[in-house]
Amino acid sequence: MPPEDTRILVVDDERQIRCMLKTTLAGNGYDIREAVSGHDALKETQLFHPDLIILDLGLPDLDGIEVIRRLREWTKVPVIVLTVREHESDKIEALDAGADDYVTKPFHMGELLARIRVALRYAAKSDDEPIFTLGKLKVDLARHQVAIGETEVDLTPTEYEILKFLALHAGRLVLHQDLLRAIRGPQRKDVHYLRVYIAQLRHKIEEDPNRPRYIVTEPGVGYRFGAMD
Amino acid sequence: MTRLHHMDSVKPYVWTVLGIALITAIGRLITPFFSPINVALLYLLPVLLGAVYWGHRVSLFGSFLGVLTFDFFFVPPVFSFTVSNIKDLFTFGVFLLVGIVTGSMATKIRNELEKAKEREKRLEALYSVGQQIAAKADLSEMLKTLSQTLSEAVGGQVALLMPATHSTALREVACYPCSMPFGDKEEAVMGWVLGHGRPAGRGTETLRRASPPIFPVKADNKTLGVLVVAIDSDGSAIPPDQQQAVEAFANLAGVAIVRVRLAEEAEQSRWLAESEKVHRALLLSVSHDLRTPLASITGGVTSLLLKEDVYDRKATRDLLDSIRQGASRLNRIVRNLLDMARFESGTLRLNREWCDVQDLVGVALRETEEILQGHKVGVAIPLDLPPVKADFGLLLHVMINLLENAGTHGEENGEISISASLGDGAIFVSVADQNPTIPRDEREHVFDKFYRLQHSGSENGTGLGLSICRAIMEAHGGMIWIDSLPGRGNRFTFALPMDEKPSEWEVEEGENHAA
Repeated sequence: MPPEDTRILVVDDERQIRCMLKTTLAGNGYDIREAVSGHDALKETQLFHPDLIILDLGLPDLDGIEVIRRLREWTKVPVIVLTVREHESDKIEALDAGADDYVTKPFHMGELLARIRVALRYAAKSDDEPIFTLGKLKVDLARHQVAIGETEVDLTPTEYEILKFLALHAGRLVLHQDLLRAIRGPQRKDVHYLRVYIAQLRHKIEEDPNRPRYIVTEPGVGYRFGAMD
Repeated sequence: MTRLHHMDSVKPYVWTVLGIALITAIGRLITPFFSPINVALLYLLPVLLGAVYWGHRVSLFGSFLGVLTFDFFFVPPVFSFTVSNIKDLFTFGVFLLVGIVTGSMATKIRNELEKAKEREKRLEALYSVGQQIAAKADLSEMLKTLSQTLSEAVGGQVALLMPATHSTALREVACYPCSMPFGDKEEAVMGWVLGHGRPAGRGTETLRRASPPIFPVKADNKTLGVLVVAIDSDGSAIPPDQQQAVEAFANLAGVAIVRVRLAEEAEQSRWLAESEKVHRALLLSVSHDLRTPLASITGGVTSLLLKEDVYDRKATRDLLDSIRQGASRLNRIVRNLLDMARFESGTLRLNREWCDVQDLVGVALRETEEILQGHKVGVAIPLDLPPVKADFGLLLHVMINLLENAGTHGEENGEISISASLGDGAIFVSVADQNPTIPRDEREHVFDKFYRLQHSGSENGTGLGLSICRAIMEAHGGMIWIDSLPGRGNRFTFALPMDEKPSEWEVEEGENHAA
């Protein structure tokens, strides 16, 4: 979908932020509508049918989390939270309520644009691509093969499951619990278990495990596969 | 109860009668050998003993009975109360006089002794109360023991009431034993005592019928509260000899209250002075540190707005860069101020989880990418370094602060090396730089709030970063310190205790974990 046909609803009570987002996003070709409150956002979503919502959590009438919950009762429109709340529990709460991603203020415009693209792509995706590539890394989901350049990497079954789940959600924030559920079933809750496997995976696929590029840690929340778009 | 009491009061007389009977018998036996006067002296014995043990009534009774018995059995005509010789009447008179005088003197001595004992008991009680006041810091606890001691000393109920803060309504602050409901009348008397600073109620000069005795608790001529003393259920007056003791207790209570209040006020004002000092330093530091990056942002933006086409591509880029740097510096300052506020408010709760040091370093390096541009950063973390239980988010702030510190306090292109190791029940993580060595006498101070190096050209940061690092490490039971490196440079190291090991995470699926 070309940006001109993509509608984004910007929800923020601060005029300065709305103004800045409108200018930048419109400059990048998106069609922008603004909302200044939670109720306003819910109304505009019905009228404007946005393809994506950028939502501030600290709204004057409704809390942003509540807005997400009400939206999720009837729509799957991607929601990117854009807020000053930086605590991990806030992030997890927003994502659990149904937000697709979480960006804290102040932010780099490049990062926000990348997250927007990922969320839109993920929402539009019909079928999973059988082969996923990121830099030198190639994950062939059909043949269960992972390679760095031409060299095949030998992964254990759990490592492969983790990498596969991350690749399927490339660019998106993956919560610890979602990843654990995907590889072990929902009863398992030990995040440390995950951390050990991620460390092993990094040693096998990252060029410099001290500066990971493929599997990026989102502190206290989860992981993101391929931070760069 | 009354019958028992009655029997108790009769006993001394019975003993006196028995004593006199015995002496009479002995007297009859020895009459052939002694003159009757000698026998008369024997009769003084029960009089004296009665006075010492039972008081003057008994001794008086003994005197009369003795005279009558002597008259009857020994004075001729024997077995008759008739006195034939006028000299004998004189003897009786002297005998009675001696009996009464010795009796009353003995009684007086006995009373004195008892009073002395009573005084000693009260003194002891006062002394113990004084000690309690010196030992106890908690006011309500102290007043409770105080009223208990007084209650035991006077043998009644005691309650101490004080006006509540910002009101005149009296509130019970201590009582013993606690069952004293007060009616409107009592409360009115209490109000009077509080207002006038004089005792009232039974046994006092004022409002005698309205209530049990109520005493003011005074210190520095101010009435702080009232002391209610009810000897029995109908609240009778306090005997005059105990009144003084009760007043002494009331005074002690007043002293105790004032002492504790003064201590509290001193603590309060010390705390205020301390926090005022910190706030002044904070204001100074914040106004300087927030305005500097704001100045570079405002300057950059206004020059771009003023003459857009004056600057070539590179100059524009440089201006934008300085704006971006100013903004991220502001962001760092705000982060540290927020951390400090969380620590100072005491609301911080550690969210301990298993942390992988390599992961920690990776995230910190990503977060500091911008500020460390142009620096060569080396990382040395052993592959087999075990995880450590800590708050990942807070450790991240420590790591970021150390890296920013290394990146901003020296020339560009300096080398920074991060290393980690396991030793002696702790994990050690170090960040070493090539910045000017921090003088030995300043090394401890760099962890103080708002401290700036004496001869540092750099003006970065609020002087908060390192103090936050130390606070975070202390909250973890860890440590942070500085070593100087040979030649040039400083090494900041933090140590986290390894209290426990992660449980059964390893080899769950029989997989090969050799990476």
